Amino acid sequence: MNDKHEDKLMSDARRLATRISPKRDLWPDIATAIAQPGRSRWTSMLAQAAAVILLVGASSGVTYLAVYDDQPPAEFMPPNLTFEQASFGGQYQLGPDFQDARSNLASKLDRELTRLSPEARAGVEENLQLIRNAINDINGALEQEPDNALLQELLLKTYHQELRVMRDVGGLTRSVMSRNDI
Amino acid sequence: MAALLAMEPRDYSPAMVSPTQQATTDEATWIARAQRSDAQAFESLYRAHVDRVYGLCLRMTGNVSEAEDCTQEAFIQVWNKLAKFRGDSSFATWLHRIAVNAVLGRMRKARREQDRIQLATEASISPASIGDTGNLRDLSDAVDRLPQGARHVFVLYAVYGYSHEEAGNMLGIATGTSKAQLHRARRLLAQQLKQEGFEA
Repeated sequence: MNDKHEDKLMSDARRLATRISPKRDLWPDIATAIAQPGRSRWTSMLAQAAAVILLVGASSGVTYLAVYDDQPPAEFMPPNLTFEQASFGGQYQLGPDFQDARSNLASKLDRELTRLSPEARAGVEENLQLIRNAINDINGALEQEPDNALLQELLLKTYHQELRVMRDVGGLTRSVMSRNDI
Repeated sequence: MAALLAMEPRDYSPAMVSPTQQATTDEATWIARAQRSDAQAFESLYRAHVDRVYGLCLRMTGNVSEAEDCTQEAFIQVWNKLAKFRGDSSFATWLHRIAVNAVLGRMRKARREQDRIQLATEASISPASIGDTGNLRDLSDAVDRLPQGARHVFVLYAVYGYSHEEAGNMLGIATGTSKAQLHRARRLLAQQLKQEGFEA
């Protein structure tokens, strides 16, 4: 095999047909498959978001148990929190009370985190980041399907999950403080 | 169209659109509409690309039935993933990548390589050589008898003109591995064609 033959081989290869028509029309089967109702293009994203929420929930629980010291955590709940007032209609706006509670907790979060051990703090921050990524993904999906009830419900649950983690951080820090006091 | 071709080259009026530009514009429109779940636009995309996708699947699998299944699977996946297409690469390249994945996934899942070799041996003319004539048919048959790894690289690099980097990305192998597989393919092809008295 020499260079001349190799060149001939490659130039012949480039002349091989790249367009070959199938013997039968493949479109009808494709059309049937894509017309089937069921999994929308967001389904897998929703499944992923749900998995994230489950993961975060489980992880939060583990973190909580790892830090919790038999004592029930002090209740840390800003007054007048009304989670149910978050409203999701065609415009999927959060209720003002929900937004206030969220802002309130978020503003306290940094201070609360400093009271946790580095490991627990890293766990909480990682969980919150996962939740916020999920919120961004769901909001992106809602921009294209604003009236998707499943997405709206998932967004609401995800916001609740975020609030729960932020609230638990408050509980954790109270627990740590009372343990240190003893 | 005749009126467009008759125009002076320096006439840059908005009506002067080359067939290539027109095809690109059409394709962009079809993609945008298909992204909004317009099945008719998607059919237009299918009609424009099916021969090239089927050809790629046929050359990679060497089996008509497998190639048909892979082609259908690829277009269904394209429909499901179309919202994610942002035009970072050309639509054809993106489509080919999905088709290659469909072929690889199918081969891995069903382990049909053995069946494929059997079918290729039984066939008097390789299915992939349907579109070729003369000596090219011998080459096509020889390509079809290559081992899977060498055949896939040869088809993507030598037949479809992708770079080693692109072929490696599509096949999930390193660029160096793609080069090594091409070298192997060329050596095996030269041997095969020499044995059959075909002057490569």
